[in-house]
Amino acid sequence: MTGINKVDVLIVGGGPAGLSAAIKLQQLLNAKGRPERVAVIDKAEKAGQHILSGLVFEPEALTELIPDWKERKDPFVTKALGSEVQIDDTLFLTKSRAIKLPAWIVPPYLRHRGDLALSGAEMVRWLVTEAESLGVRVYTGFAAVEVLYGESGVRGVRLGDKGRDREGHPQVNFVPGEAIEAKVTIFAEGSLGQLAEDVVQKMGLDRGRIHQIQSLGVKEVLKLPADNAFGPNHVVHTFGFPLPDVFGGGTLYSLDKSTVAVALVLALDWKYADLSPQQELQVFKSHPYVAKMLEGGEVIAYGAKTLPEGGYFALPQPYTGGALVVGDAAGFTDVRKLKGWHNAMRSGMLAGQAVAEAIEQDDFSAGALKRYGELLEAGPVIADLKRGRNYRQMFTKGRTVYLGAPLSLVQRFVPGRIKTEPDYLGTKRVLLERDYRGGYDRLSDVALSGTIHREEEPSHIAIADPDGCAACLRDYGVHPCEYFCPADVYRFEDGELVLNPSNCVHCQTCRHKCPHQVIQWRVPEGGGGPKYKIM
Amino acid sequence: MNYIVLIKQVPDIRNIPPDAWDWEKGTLRRGMLDTVCNELDRQALAFTAALRREHDGQVVVLTMGPPFATEVLRYALSICADRAVLLTDRKLGGADTPATAYPLSQSIRKIEKEIFGGDRDYLIITGMQSVDGDTAQVPPQVAEELGIPHIAYATSFRFADGALQVARITRVGKEVVSPTSYPALITVTNWTEPPFASFHRTVWAFDQEIVNWSAADVEADPGRIGLTGSRTTVNRIFSPKDVSTKNCEYVTDMGRLAVKIREIYDAKLSSQGAAEEVGEQYRLPQDRTPTFHGEVWVYAEADESGLHPAAFELLGRAAALARSLNEQVAAVLLGSGVDALARELIAYGADKVYLAEHDLLGHFSPLPYTETIGDLIGRYRPQIVLFAATPLGRELAPRVAYRTNSGLTADCTALDLIDLKRAGKEYTGILRQTRPALGGNIMASIITQNADIQMSTARPGVLKALPRDDSRQGEIIEYTPQLAAERVGVSLVSFEPVQATAELSDAGVIVTGGAGLRTKENYDAYIRPLATELGNFLGVESMVGASRAAVERGMIDRGHQVGQTGQTVKPRVYVAVGVSGAVQHLTGMQSSDIIVAINKDAKAPIFNVADLGVVASLEETIPQLTEALKAGAVQR
Repeated sequence: MTGINKVDVLIVGGGPAGLSAAIKLQQLLNAKGRPERVAVIDKAEKAGQHILSGLVFEPEALTELIPDWKERKDPFVTKALGSEVQIDDTLFLTKSRAIKLPAWIVPPYLRHRGDLALSGAEMVRWLVTEAESLGVRVYTGFAAVEVLYGESGVRGVRLGDKGRDREGHPQVNFVPGEAIEAKVTIFAEGSLGQLAEDVVQKMGLDRGRIHQIQSLGVKEVLKLPADNAFGPNHVVHTFGFPLPDVFGGGTLYSLDKSTVAVALVLALDWKYADLSPQQELQVFKSHPYVAKMLEGGEVIAYGAKTLPEGGYFALPQPYTGGALVVGDAAGFTDVRKLKGWHNAMRSGMLAGQAVAEAIEQDDFSAGALKRYGELLEAGPVIADLKRGRNYRQMFTKGRTVYLGAPLSLVQRFVPGRIKTEPDYLGTKRVLLERDYRGGYDRLSDVALSGTIHREEEPSHIAIADPDGCAACLRDYGVHPCEYFCPADVYRFEDGELVLNPSNCVHCQTCRHKCPHQVIQWRVPEGGGGPKYKIM
Repeated sequence: MNYIVLIKQVPDIRNIPPDAWDWEKGTLRRGMLDTVCNELDRQALAFTAALRREHDGQVVVLTMGPPFATEVLRYALSICADRAVLLTDRKLGGADTPATAYPLSQSIRKIEKEIFGGDRDYLIITGMQSVDGDTAQVPPQVAEELGIPHIAYATSFRFADGALQVARITRVGKEVVSPTSYPALITVTNWTEPPFASFHRTVWAFDQEIVNWSAADVEADPGRIGLTGSRTTVNRIFSPKDVSTKNCEYVTDMGRLAVKIREIYDAKLSSQGAAEEVGEQYRLPQDRTPTFHGEVWVYAEADESGLHPAAFELLGRAAALARSLNEQVAAVLLGSGVDALARELIAYGADKVYLAEHDLLGHFSPLPYTETIGDLIGRYRPQIVLFAATPLGRELAPRVAYRTNSGLTADCTALDLIDLKRAGKEYTGILRQTRPALGGNIMASIITQNADIQMSTARPGVLKALPRDDSRQGEIIEYTPQLAAERVGVSLVSFEPVQATAELSDAGVIVTGGAGLRTKENYDAYIRPLATELGNFLGVESMVGASRAAVERGMIDRGHQVGQTGQTVKPRVYVAVGVSGAVQHLTGMQSSDIIVAINKDAKAPIFNVADLGVVASLEETIPQLTEALKAGAVQR
């Protein structure tokens, strides 16, 4: 049966933005005694499995959503309250040294004391429980692949088929993708969300904005011996080594007294054609300071994800008839803080508020949903982004951290907007030629992401034009995708590309960074992908 | 006809994080693992959905588990179930298989009475086994408790003149059977693609009420559930991984490699013998009486082609156990016209053979076999009964154990005797039964408690048979069972012997090809002959395997894939040709006894787990090795 499913409000994506929207909206609906119910769909097999973040979290956003959350007696709350950042170091790394920046030099937006060091996946699982207790339905394992449009805008989405074989033929267990129609659809797919991109493009919501640019974060969680040097309630941000000429840096966050999250965040406009982010993370871990902190540690989890860094000038109009865009799908990450969660949650809450009002008036037109845009403009999300509007662009101008960091401090005084180029244009015929062999190899790390796709499903990755691959070799001397993919999906053997789509962790770096833009990444069968638990 | 589907929520063993094990405490931190619906139970749901399409009726899904097991019930509702029942009670925790089968049976009785209105025209359908316990014991034991027939390893069904016919696989063929009385229980093996839920049915499933029953609700006898009702208990859990990392010995000459394989192979076999001798050295303490009493028995599996060789392996082990306990070894032989085989059992170590012959025992069927062995056990009271963990053994032993109040441990890889003090109790000369669990991720040693008889099924090929000695003397005790045809419960429609399409996991030798072979032509030209010759050389069954990369390149079908997303294998000899050894592959084969790696890349991680390594191009090496093995096999 391929009948049309009708729901009141559909939220595509069960991350911090989508769940905050769901919770806020259902709270308001319940308070008014209205019968409408919110449905959330997510492509992960289970809630939270596609969630990866730093995560140093500003808890005020959670308090705004659930005022009494600190009084809840459950393992997550206990853990969260015990994770308050007490030691907050910012370090400049040279090849062999770590120089701690004095507190007065660290700009306020890079200070984290009082924030909570959490696992995003854990927090999302908790938010799902909260949402469900309010009556929100969270359906996991369902991937939306297409936006359905009607006369006045967005009508809903179509889900992906399940049970096709390699060649695309239906198998015995074939279930066709169903249509879901809603009065309002909230797109909360996170960074590089394809349906949000489609809405923005088809509805012309991106007029006048600069190109969205991304960073890629690669992350490992390590279990340390009981007597480790790092300790609890400790966060470290580094810049410089191993890549002083790429915007970004390293982080070490303690999750508890013997678990630490280590990540490297790199702006995707890097020039090196042979840069492997996963390998750079290993190089980062080999720095004497980092190595000392992580001594005796065993990697227990791995993952990778992009984040939007275009900031204020890259924001689309986040509403249209029948649809809103929230969180990273719209690009609300605060690039100066390198934090997205509080903005994701706040944008979700405002969307919830605007939709509640729309339901009250039974008006879901662009005119009515404009309320969401107004609420955003009036609140801290846009204010934050405005303050950092040219930050990342200025950093890019500086070419290296030595010049970029000081320049970024004065970015606010640059009149107008500094333009950006798509990240893939940053790739040059320059090789890093890193021959570091220590640490974890890429496939071992990928195994720790838990990623799995049904072996028989059609490949969700395709090459539009193989000539593009030949052109890469000609232009760069290597195939950059062999290196930039953090999950080892792309391998060339005897000059021929061999894809391993089942390794994919859904970061979509490939689609964004492929120099000749021939890689096509589509959402695979629902339920496939990484299985993050403590990312 | 109505349907009851038994499902289980299990940890997702495809994805066990490294820190999920607490080796010091010997426990698994379940919170670290995702939970999923047991894969074969998904198959059971698909089977039920297909049955229901042909023969409409109500589908009730039942699970026993913690409150959050509602998750798998929602899934079942979204596939085909109309109602869902969760049997949940703290008192049910810590149960072994009989203490699980009993309250499940009580729930089934309640479903029959309250939901089906007393109508007994229903089928109970479930997966053959769960990936966590991996015992395959609960379903036959439910059937035993309910006194109904079961059909194991079902692969398909059809209705012929309104009668249900179920095709099932056995070790030696494919048979079609038909239930002659209802209710009947069917266990389903991998027969189709796992079913997906549609969105609209999922939405419906979320709106359904799930029925919650406690132990008291199903009127379960408190003495027969939970820890109290369990007859076995886990003594210890440990890692199967060798503590010492392997030291790969590199070889350049292929003749030499063949010799080395043979040497290590023989040495490993005899060291297994040595391990058994440790058990043999067990002596009963002078001042203590053993906890259990009676003979040591072996069930001797026989079919049209004669005795299963595993019977001799079991006798070898049983002889050692019996010597330590000062008891006699007996074999139990069932069938029709099998008396000639009794002498063979004596030649392999049996002091006695209990021979039961009857027309109804001519072809294996669980109910008459259970009844016969149950009667023999009741009459002669052995202290240990060993079965081979063959498909037949694993469906027969659970029923026999349930009927005779015995503790049963499935699929053991080691059996020895120990003395133990535990929870204030002293055990003397008890059987320590060691087995892999959770898909081979852990080893557990298990002991029997609250029972008079210790039973195990032992994995074929791990125990060592004694040399045949036709001069040995023994006693043959004939027994004529009282069996009635109407109590058999299933009728045989047809039987078709097939050359067993051996499972990869059963092969003694596996030769695996990887991406390094590059083409299907190379795979066929190098891997298959090598597997054949190595099998001949060592005198064991060999099969070909493939890495995922090789499957992706179309060298062979996915049924041969070894690794995380393929099969987990543990052959005596594993030869990896052109396999780089990504961790995803290693998890599927690293517990093989002997690993030989052949790769032109000296840095390939496969060498880290190999005993023997060859760094060379495959085109030269493999034909040389194949020739050397051929010559070696001829010499012997």
